[in-house]
Amino acid sequence: MLKDITFGQYYDATSVVHKCDPRVKILLMIAFIVLIFVSQNMFSLAFACVSVIFVLLISRVPIKLFLKNLKAIWVVLAFTAVINLFYSNTGKVLVSFWIVEITTGGVYRAVFMALRIILLIFISSVLTYTTTPNSLTDGIESLLSPLKYIGLKNAVHIFAMMMTIALRFIPTLIEEAEKIMNAQKARGADLENGSLVERVKALIPILIPLLISSVRRAYELAEAMECRCYNGGVGKTRMKQLTLSVSDLYAIIFIAVFTCGIIGLNIIF
Amino acid sequence: MAILEVRNLTHTYSGNSPFMNDAVKDVSFTVEKGEIIGIIGHTGSGKSTLVQHLNGLLKPTEGNVLFENEDIWENPKEIRKIRSKVGLVFQYPEYQLFEETVFKDISFGPRNMGLESEALENTVKEICGIVGVKPEFFEKSPFDLSGGEKRRVAIAGVMAMKPQVIVFDEPTAGLDPKGREDVMEIIRSYRKATNATVIIISHSMEDMAALADKVIVMNKGSLYMFGTAREVFSHSDELRKIGLNVPIVSQVFEALGLNNIPLTVDEAVEILKKRVGDNA
Ligand SMILES: Nc1ncnc2c1ncn2[C@@H]1O[C@H](COP(=O)(O)OP(=O)(O)OP(=O)(O)O)[C@@H](O)[C@H]1O
Ligand SMILES: [Mg+2]
Repeated sequence: MLKDITFGQYYDATSVVHKCDPRVKILLMIAFIVLIFVSQNMFSLAFACVSVIFVLLISRVPIKLFLKNLKAIWVVLAFTAVINLFYSNTGKVLVSFWIVEITTGGVYRAVFMALRIILLIFISSVLTYTTTPNSLTDGIESLLSPLKYIGLKNAVHIFAMMMTIALRFIPTLIEEAEKIMNAQKARGADLENGSLVERVKALIPILIPLLISSVRRAYELAEAMECRCYNGGVGKTRMKQLTLSVSDLYAIIFIAVFTCGIIGLNIIF
Repeated sequence: MAILEVRNLTHTYSGNSPFMNDAVKDVSFTVEKGEIIGIIGHTGSGKSTLVQHLNGLLKPTEGNVLFENEDIWENPKEIRKIRSKVGLVFQYPEYQLFEETVFKDISFGPRNMGLESEALENTVKEICGIVGVKPEFFEKSPFDLSGGEKRRVAIAGVMAMKPQVIVFDEPTAGLDPKGREDVMEIIRSYRKATNATVIIISHSMEDMAALADKVIVMNKGSLYMFGTAREVFSHSDELRKIGLNVPIVSQVFEALGLNNIPLTVDEAVEILKKRVGDNA
């Protein structure tokens, strides 16, 4: 049950996207997101669609996995679509009852917004599917490193370290939670039945031991790190340096074409 | 009478790679009422997986588990009922403690079974008497206890449901010799008080030899041997082949080339006394 929760859902494969530098990927994803919001008409959005699908295909991650991510947010998706359906009153009236009217403009808007969200989910999934959590945090640390010069000397490193540790311990915590759940079930705890209040109450015997063991783990980890002379980011060098490669060049060219395309289509139509 | 019967039990964990072997493969055995069964096996041989089937925490991929001749999965909605009949004490059970006081924590199991007020209090007190949790501990926080005391309270938490069969997964792991002896003593006194059937997973051949009527040997998910402790430990070469061994005293007698091999220190003393007596 808990095992179904995937996080840092890295999918191992060999592709141009996998080979890209995490910094480039993060920046490109931000560019994509901005541009998806910038695209204002059918044509630029269609171009965005094609580009996103192109990226999905060259990432060599099964499309099934992207669709799985959509399933998680379909409520948000449906909600957005429905709200937008009633929001516009341009175009021909299709259905009308009481004070509500559904117009072609509304339908267009609903589809447009839903498509935008789908593209956002897809493109951000590309990042998480093709980048290991560790290289993701490395990338973030590297991108945030200019903050060092405005007085946040150690903060960037600490932030990145916190993220790395959190990601590292998610599977451990899931395993531990499962063990504790089993132990309490063996004592007759009922986690599946009962009212909402009862079920929330039933979580207490799981959350408390979990919290206690996390704190214990945190102390142990801190001690182990200190024993290995960890003193924050000061003077630390990396075993794996981030370097740019040919893939990154392709990526940058691609994003340049994409940007021009979206902006061009926005202006022309 | 057979209290538990495992028939052709196979368990495959889902979600892992398709090449993964079954954690438990086609295991069958019968446990008679009142017996003490030991389970030994190399790490990863499927011992923990096997015992989690006995109280319905895991559902067999194939095969059946019968409690008093009834399949425990006959009615899946009622599976929770088996948990009070077959108690399971996990490895490092102290990590399951969560209540504010020792007394409340031990009450958790019987309360889940529907026991209330006086009946609940009496049951908890009775169990505390058996396992040696002193009344002055009742109102303490379980988190203020020492490691050994926590283990004692956690074990009492399962025993408080008064299960007819109680299963321990490495109950002495991580304890000092005194702590280990204490845990063994708790198990013995619970058994004396309730005539319960006991199943123990252990890596200590000495404990098994001293305690178990019968021993199940697991190897790579399959049942490798099942017999009385004496039978099983007479196959020392086979046991060594799968990463296990016989008790140290037995090893000593074996190394000396003696043919009357004892399983426990007490037995060894008897044999030696006799030899010394014969020679004198
Ligand atoms: N929750 C799980 N999900 C997937 N595989 C598991 C799970 N638990 C155990 N396994 C696998 O099943 C096999 C048997 O594990 P099990 O814990 O039953 O062994 P064990 O005999 O209890 O070992 P140990 O002596 O180390 O406790 C191992 O290969 C293990 O990796
Ligand atoms: Mg185990």
